[in-house]
Amino acid sequence: MDISDTQVNGIQVLDVAGRIDSGTAKSLEDKVVGFLDGGTKALVIDLSKVEFVSSAGLRVFLLAAKRLKAVGGKYGLAGLQPSVREVFEVSGFSKIFSLFADRAEALDRLG
Amino acid sequence: MTAALEIRVRNSLDEIARLAEQVDAFCETHGIGPGIAYNLNLAFDELITNTISYGYDDQAEHEIVVRIAASDKAVEAEIVDDARAFDPLSREDPDVDADLDDREIGGLGIFFVKQFMDEVAYRREGDYNVVALRKGLAAND
Repeated sequence: MDISDTQVNGIQVLDVAGRIDSGTAKSLEDKVVGFLDGGTKALVIDLSKVEFVSSAGLRVFLLAAKRLKAVGGKYGLAGLQPSVREVFEVSGFSKIFSLFADRAEALDRLG
Repeated sequence: MTAALEIRVRNSLDEIARLAEQVDAFCETHGIGPGIAYNLNLAFDELITNTISYGYDDQAEHEIVVRIAASDKAVEAEIVDDARAFDPLSREDPDVDADLDDREIGGLGIFFVKQFMDEVAYRREGDYNVVALRKGLAAND
């Protein structure tokens, strides 16, 4: 799994590629928590290059959602591949997160 | 068609990726679609992670054996470990309709296994836990 970060109009974007499984989720968590601890209040995670997410990954997305809600922040996940989206739907996470078709839509709607 | 694969992994979370690579390769070789491969890898990740994280009473290295058999009709798999006896099916399902404040991650992994597999069975064989999985190969994937 690779993570790169960019800031677009005040929104922190994390671009993740590869697999978010129980072996890699911790490094995503560290990255996300690092930004949240640093005061990030608007976060978009671009998942368009992520082909696998297990509950270990969902745990990180949930943690970010709770922390951003607590500070009145903005949060969106973008570009979910169909198999990944299915995991969000079965878990009910698609109902509690803002999911966007792609990064451009996320930035447009959250900006 | 029948094909089989056995993979032995250590009780370390970074083994999950190595396992997944072999499962993906097996599925591709035998014409099993990426959706099924995802389902299998999800089940393996969730079950093996539970075992590695909570199942052992010591710090020693343990081996977990994953066996996969594919026919034209279904993929069947078994995960065998020597961890403490634990029936994953005994866990309560999470409330997937809870709102953000009440959502917790506990129990979600096993819930995925039950949702994405057609059959899940647990048995204790001597000092071993055996979880058996079955996923039918429908025309849609």
